[in-house]
Amino acid sequence: MTTTVCTSTMLAISDLTVRFRLPGAIVHAVTAISLTVAPGELLAVVGESGCGKSVLAHALLGLLPANATVSGTALLHGDGAPVDLLAADEKTMARTVRGRRVGLVPQSPATALTPVRTGRHLLQETLRAHSRARTDAETVAAGVGLAPADLDLYPHELSGGMAQRLATALALAPDPPLLLADEPTSGLDRPLVDATLDLLRARCDDGAAVILITHDLAAAERVADTVAVMYASRIVEHRPALEFFAGPRHPYAHALLDALPDRSFAPIPGHPPMLTDLPAGCAFAPRCPYASIDCGTQPSRDRGVACHHPMGARL
Amino acid sequence: MAELTLRRTRLPRLRLRPGRLGVTIATTVLVLAVAACLFAPLLWPLDQSAVNLARIRLAPSWAHPAGTDDLGRDVAHRTLYGLRVSLLVGAVAALVATVIGGIVGGIAGTLGGRVDRLLMRIVDTVAALPHLLLGIFIVAMLRPSLGAVILSVGLTHWLSTARIVRSELLSLRTRPFIDAAISGGAGRLRVLTRHLLPHVLPKLALATTLMVPHAVWHETALSFLGLGLPPHLASLGNMINDGQGSLLTGAWWASLMPGLVIVIVTLALAAVVARWRDRLDPRVRAELQL
Amino acid sequence: MVRRRLLVAVPVLIATSIGMFLLGAASPIDPAKQYAGAAAFTATSENLDQIRANWGVDDPLPVQYARWVGNLLQGDLGWSTSRHEPVTAVLGARAGWTLLLVSTALAVVLVSSLVLGTLAAYRRGGLFDRGLRAAAYAVEAMPVFWLGLAAIAVFALSLGWLPAGGLTEVTATTTSAADVARHLILPVGVLAVSQAPWFLLFVRDSVAESLRDDHVLAAKARGLPGRTVLFGHALRTALLPFLTLIGTHLPELVGGAVLVETVFSLPGLGAVTVQAALGSDFPLLAAITLVTTAVVLTANLLTDLAYTAADPRVRLDG
Repeated sequence: MTTTVCTSTMLAISDLTVRFRLPGAIVHAVTAISLTVAPGELLAVVGESGCGKSVLAHALLGLLPANATVSGTALLHGDGAPVDLLAADEKTMARTVRGRRVGLVPQSPATALTPVRTGRHLLQETLRAHSRARTDAETVAAGVGLAPADLDLYPHELSGGMAQRLATALALAPDPPLLLADEPTSGLDRPLVDATLDLLRARCDDGAAVILITHDLAAAERVADTVAVMYASRIVEHRPALEFFAGPRHPYAHALLDALPDRSFAPIPGHPPMLTDLPAGCAFAPRCPYASIDCGTQPSRDRGVACHHPMGARL
Repeated sequence: MAELTLRRTRLPRLRLRPGRLGVTIATTVLVLAVAACLFAPLLWPLDQSAVNLARIRLAPSWAHPAGTDDLGRDVAHRTLYGLRVSLLVGAVAALVATVIGGIVGGIAGTLGGRVDRLLMRIVDTVAALPHLLLGIFIVAMLRPSLGAVILSVGLTHWLSTARIVRSELLSLRTRPFIDAAISGGAGRLRVLTRHLLPHVLPKLALATTLMVPHAVWHETALSFLGLGLPPHLASLGNMINDGQGSLLTGAWWASLMPGLVIVIVTLALAAVVARWRDRLDPRVRAELQL
Repeated sequence: MVRRRLLVAVPVLIATSIGMFLLGAASPIDPAKQYAGAAAFTATSENLDQIRANWGVDDPLPVQYARWVGNLLQGDLGWSTSRHEPVTAVLGARAGWTLLLVSTALAVVLVSSLVLGTLAAYRRGGLFDRGLRAAAYAVEAMPVFWLGLAAIAVFALSLGWLPAGGLTEVTATTTSAADVARHLILPVGVLAVSQAPWFLLFVRDSVAESLRDDHVLAAKARGLPGRTVLFGHALRTALLPFLTLIGTHLPELVGGAVLVETVFSLPGLGAVTVQAALGSDFPLLAAITLVTTAVVLTANLLTDLAYTAADPRVRLDG
């Protein structure tokens, strides 16, 4: 774990809300999320699958499908004037933001790599698109631990770990100051997970900001500077990693940590709610041992925790 | 066969997705068309040979909404009777195709194994042939007639039905209730009639309905080529063929109405069936792409 | 894969020939009488018997079949009873025009459906997309021969822009390419329009779906230019099944060609097929069906090869 002094801001997300219109239903994918991340900071957004955390990454890149509506702002700082990622038009996003200023390490690299192209082709194409044609594809590949010969394979010929490394190399190639990593470790075994995490950490130490979206708390504990816990489309706790892992304050975060194999290994009772049908108040209340009548209203966030009965108060 | 299955699954299904209004209109059109065909002789009796040389090739007017043809017959009037013939022949031919397909698929699906492989190979063979050429060949060898046309449709259109019935039976065979029936001492015939048929029949009915426009098309094409129904059984195809001569003399309306009727009835059938098909399982949908 | 395809193709051809032969044998038509033509009415039964003996019509079926196939393999496709010339001569004089019609129409269909379908997918749900899909469904419901007559009525008779039929001007003494091209515009156009809906809707759906594919989103997220994303990533994978579609759709294209040739009185195989059918000319019909089937199977093989070349996931295995 590294502690970095955060002086400036790379990305400031404020009140980000995403809804999907489906026939006969509205999906509450992301609700009123406010987060900031600074250069050199690694923010881990943690939550169970289906809580809306992948939508966050796609929203920031302007890649949501046509049936999505987005509100809020997400100001990207860095060279030049700040850009609101949620309001910028497609042309700005395509020409100046995606890849160049915000990189994405995609979920499931197996499907994220174009099946009819070799790794070398994909890498060179990406380098060319960002006027870095002089940079050698093999050098970039070596940076993530891929041998030159691996680059001539097609995606279906790569192992899961190699595909992940290639996908990471593709995101790193344009050298973006902000990196979104969407579940980069799913489906990998432990050594590969650690290698991938270390890559992201190294990236951070070089001054980039990284948002690591994951369901893997152990991964977050290994590399994160700050942790944001997401439950049913909202951030329920957002605190520095050291403090968080020492004593989570939201009952859900607490239960998540308790569910880890090296802690009490106790599963959380019940199921997460459907994003099409969220309660008016705290969405965790039905599963929460401390829930009271107050929990029928939405709690406000106080010192990084959105809960009527934060755990620290009782300790 | 890995790569073949890969490709099969990637072929999307083209489907009409009519709205509620569309389905209502289509149903109304179909009901009206069928009713008009059924009651045509009562509503508007027709002497097929009613030739009136005093009113040859009259342009559409109030008296003759679709004009008259080169023998002075009212085109709208003949179209009604042409549709009657086309729909009837189409329905009977679709039924014949379903019976052939049902038998082949039924044998393949119940016996399985080597018989199944052989029959499916035959299905693939016929699928690779140009249908119209094959249809023409069949009609030619039997001499153009009503029976030849029906057989021509039947022998070229049974493939999808055979595939549906076969895959349906093969999947049913692995279901527990069939095992239960067999271990309960039910004979093969009893299992077939009591347990398998009720599951297959609705899909057969859908397949038959879907087949009707195809059958009508096949018949119409043959009749247009002069290889289909004899003149006294004039169908829409015969009429379009007759109209070809009038067209060159400037009477464009002789072929217009019969063609329009084919288009409208085909679209209406497709829309109604699309709604029906959506309730069936995806495997059948893939097979019945329209 | 090539070998496997050939292993399928040969039995298909054999099965087709047996099927056709049996149908021909079951036919109530007496080939001897046909051969004699109008002379049959005056010919004595001894004459007819002579012809029958020459042709071996009364031999057992397997013998007849073996003889027929043996002749086919030696390049002797038989004698056309409806045209009174060798079948090979008929095919030689006519097949070229049909091939020209079908291949030009196929090219037009492919190019236009690729362009229009991709445009519709790119602006999915827009006015152009909806209009195009409505038009495609409407055209799909129109019989090709009716479409042909409509085209003649509008473009040839009413507007007078293009000839209504034939391959050359009646007054022309030689066949000039320009003249032929002018005469082919309508038939090719009609055949292409009637076949286009299937391809068009396929491209549209396939591309629209692939624009939401993981690898296309990932390519976009890398900041690649829109054109690179579309052509290099979305179309490449979306259109792979298109190759297979061409193969499976060829038989229908052939059927359409027969009808279009009839409507526009083109001297291709279509018109001869109808003539042969009316005259129950077994040798000619059988030859046309077999040759067409062989061409369709070859085309299927070619599309499979193209597929293998275009998709590294599919490898030639065998």
